[in-house]
Formats: sequence, C-alpha cells, structure tokens
Amino acid sequence: MRVRCFAPIVRLAMALFAAASASAASLDVPTPYIPSTRGNVDEMLRLANVTPQDVVFDLGSGDGRIVIAAAHDYGARGIGIELDAALVRESTENARRAGVGERVEFRHSDIFAADLRAATVVTMYLLTSLVNKLEPKLLAELRPGTRIVAHDYGFAEWQPDRKVQISKSYLLYIVPAKVAGAWRLEAPITKGREFVLDLQQRYQEVRGGVRVQGGFLPAFEARVSGERVRFVLVEDDVSYRFEGDVRGDGMEGVVRYGSGPQLMEQRWRAQRAAAAASLP
Amino acid sequence: MVKLLKYMFLNINSIVLFMRLCLLSGALAAPASHAQWPYEVPFVPSPQVVVDEMLRLANVTKDDFVMDLGSGDGRILITAAHKFGARGTGVDLDESLIAQSEENARAANVTERVQFLRQDLFKTDFSKASVITMYLLPGVNMRLRPSLLALKPGTRIVAHDFDLGDWQPDVKVTIRKNVMLWIVPAKIQGRWRLQLPLPAGAQTWDMDIRQKHQEIDGVVRVADRPPAGLWQASLRGDRVSFVLVDNTDRENEANMYFEGVVRDGVMEGEFRRGVGNVQTRHKWRATRTGTAP
Repeated sequence: MRVRCFAPIVRLAMALFAAASASAASLDVPTPYIPSTRGNVDEMLRLANVTPQDVVFDLGSGDGRIVIAAAHDYGARGIGIELDAALVRESTENARRAGVGERVEFRHSDIFAADLRAATVVTMYLLTSLVNKLEPKLLAELRPGTRIVAHDYGFAEWQPDRKVQISKSYLLYIVPAKVAGAWRLEAPITKGREFVLDLQQRYQEVRGGVRVQGGFLPAFEARVSGERVRFVLVEDDVSYRFEGDVRGDGMEGVVRYGSGPQLMEQRWRAQRAAAAASLP
Repeated sequence: MVKLLKYMFLNINSIVLFMRLCLLSGALAAPASHAQWPYEVPFVPSPQVVVDEMLRLANVTKDDFVMDLGSGDGRILITAAHKFGARGTGVDLDESLIAQSEENARAANVTERVQFLRQDLFKTDFSKASVITMYLLPGVNMRLRPSLLALKPGTRIVAHDFDLGDWQPDVKVTIRKNVMLWIVPAKIQGRWRLQLPLPAGAQTWDMDIRQKHQEIDGVVRVADRPPAGLWQASLRGDRVSFVLVDNTDRENEANMYFEGVVRDGVMEGEFRRGVGNVQTRHKWRATRTGTAP
C-alpha cells in the first residue's frame, strides 16, 4: 500500500505541523500529510466497528490507505475526500491495485465543500483547529448514529463516547439524536396523568425529568447514543427503566419496571410537545 | 484502652443506626443530583428502590452468598433472598435490630436462606461471601477495605453514598442515590514470563506489571529493544486484558489483543492478531516469576 518513501514525508510534515500548531487558530494552514501506519488505520476502523454495510468517509484521505483498508479488510464501501489532486490520482491507482477499485471512490475536493450525508462512518486525522471548524458541519449533515473516529486530535467541547490508547489516541464520537425539549410521555407509569418529559442536551449528555401535576420526577442515568435514548424514573419505590429510539418528533421503546430480577415490560412512546412548552 | 476502642466503635455504629433511621423516615430523601432544577420533588421514594438497585448492580442470583455488613432491619438480605433467590448472612451489633430482622425474614418466608448475627464487623469472617453489601460511614469503609481487598478475586461489593477512598468503583449509577459496585481484583503486580506463538516463531518475554487496586499498567521487555507498553490494560476480578503492538515488521504491523484469566500465579487465555475482520486467534500463557517489578 505504501508507495512513497516514508521518512522524508514525515520530516516535512513534522516541520509543517510545528509551524501549523504554533498558530493554528489564526492561520488557515492546510493539514500536513502524515500517513498513518497499518496498525493506526486498523485501530480506527476497529473502533468504529466497521462492517460491510458501512460507507466510510475519510476526510483528508491522503494516499487512500484508510478507505482502501475499510474496503479490503472490512468489506465496506468508502469515499475519500482529498484536496491534493496528485494524491487523489495516487489513491485511485492504489485502490485498483488492492482490488477494491469498485467499492471506493476518491473525490478531489475541499472537505468543507463535500457532501457528507451518505456517510455511516467518518474518519479523520486532522489538526485541532480544522476538527473544531468541522464540528457544526458534521452535526448538521450526519445522521444520528453515524460514528466519527478521530486520530489524536478530537473536538474541544464534544466528549468522546469512547477513547482508546494504543500507541496513539483514538476517539470515537457517535452523532446523537436531538432530544432536547418537551415530550408528551405515554407509559404505564403515567396512570392517566399528563407526563411532560423535559430534556436538556449537550451532545450525548442528557439531563432533565418529568413534570407531572405540579411536581417533578428527575430522570436518572439519562443518555443518548445515536438514535438510542435511555433514562430511569422512580416513583413509589419502583424504578422505571426506559429504553428506546428517537425518530424525528417521536420516541418509542420498552420500559422495564418492578422490583427484583424479573421485571415487567411494556411499550412506551413520546411525542414532541409544542415548542412553547419547553424550558427556557 | 480496649474499653475506649469499644466505646468509640459503638459510637460509630450508633451514628450508622441513626443514619439508617433517617433514611427510613425519608429525612435524607433529597435528590442526589439535579439540585439545580427549579422544581420541588413531591414524590419521595423510599430506599427500597436503592436496595433493589444495589442487588441488581451486583447481579445477584440464586447462586450467590450475600453478606450484609451492618444489616439493620434486614431489608437488603431479605430482598436478596426473597426477590433474587440468594442466601446470606447479615451482621449487626444491635440486638433489637437482629430480632426485628429475624421477624421480618419470617414474614417474608425466607428464614431457610438467611441468618442474622449479632457480631462485630471487624471480627467477622466474610471470606464465604460472593457479594458484600454495605451502607456504612466512610471511616468504617476505610477500616474494612484491607479485608475487602483480600477477598477472592471476582467478589462483588456494593454500597451506596459512601465510597472506598481511592479504590474507584468499577461501576457507579445514580438512581435516587449514588450506588457503587467494586469487583475485588486479582493480585497481579510483579514480573511474569509471557509465552506466545508469533508468526515469526514462539517468543518468551518478560512482562512487568504495576497495580493499584484494579488499575494496572506494565511493560514487556524484549532483549535489545526498548520496552513495549501494555495498552488498554484492564483488570476486572480475575479477568485481565491488554493490547501489545507487534511492530517487528513494519509492513505487517498489527496489534495483539490479549484476554485471559488469572489463577494461582498463572495467566492464560487467547489473543487476537491481525487487521480487518479476519483476525487469527492464538493461545497465550504467563507465569509469575517475581513479586516486584
């Protein structure tokens, strides 16, 4: 897979990198090209749990090694986005030689101009300034549940869902569904009362609770992971464990409740309430 | 002197009892978090939900022997027996609470599976326990800690509100209260001889492990090469896992993902090697050769 001589590239890249990190915030320095090793590449794809059903987008795809490994080693399809036209040509040639030309594509484009909506996995090895500039675009274009794997440099505010350290740092982020706001809850716990689930959200972190008859039940252990949402309500000495999926303005799933190891199970759902009902 | 210690000890226990009574009456029933929310909390759950959570977090089954340290009115053990099918022993200093526990156990029809002992915790042998439950004061927890760490690897300890100092819980959940689970780690600090079959031929390396409770790190020493670190090293009860990077051949660089079980100075298990979704599996084994790295 390696075509070029490695050492001079790294030296050049390190020099560029030193210059870039010193003034990354103010200068629009392109990310230097530092090829990942085979182990690095594999760890990124493994952390994202890539399967043949996935479409892997590599942002700044260099000589194409990540996209090619995703296709060759994991059976996925892949798209590489790269600003350097020579590297795009080289990637296409490398893919053909690895026998995965049919399943991958390399686009000569600025990553900010690229359409990322088809991605189920995004990989990137970019400088911090660029990663943070990309965050709004990723959150706007990627569907909930899309996995983002960053190598070494992650987002400033968004905490990783998982972090792995094997020689280098690998950070996994799962694009969270949007759950903030007020939801009308239908579940066995309501017993005919009106339950308004109020959630506040910061990336995958969720807090809030249920307003009912002038009172409030806090939601414990509330989390969102992709489209999956879960939280626990407690009333009258009983815990109600909610788990479900968020689909646009609806959530639904299973609530388990009772005491001891054999819990009862029922369906629950929630519908987004009028925006005016949400908390300030 | 002995008398003084005993007096102090009784005092600690009366504070514990007082706290328990507070809890029963709901006086301490403030929400554990969410204090910043501008709502009153009109639904005050009783701690039974916390008892359930402790037993669930410890994954108590009918095969478990639960020891409840400071068993109060017996509710934890009675719940463990009645709802989870476990057996167990409760230990408390207060005679009237022991009598009440026995009465409660009769009412719940679990007298066959539980017993309550009026006994000093620090003179109690709990090596028989597969699960320890406790709700004591921080100072008492810390005094018990050496005995807890000496239990059989894999023994689960659950408590709420008060922790075990710098021995971090393996799991912590907040449902009404902070409920914490610790899994007694195997003792693996020291030097091990690691034997593994690599594609280039069988290898024997020295592996040095450092340990603080369940947190471990370490290095593998190979002649003429800088030491290689253990990555993602984790220890849970008697299960150990870590990753080594095999970069002897740069073009064929691959991570080796080790998983194994520790028993009587031997670790053994399987490791996966290679890239992509077709990794190969190999056996590995390590034997203890020294205690200090």
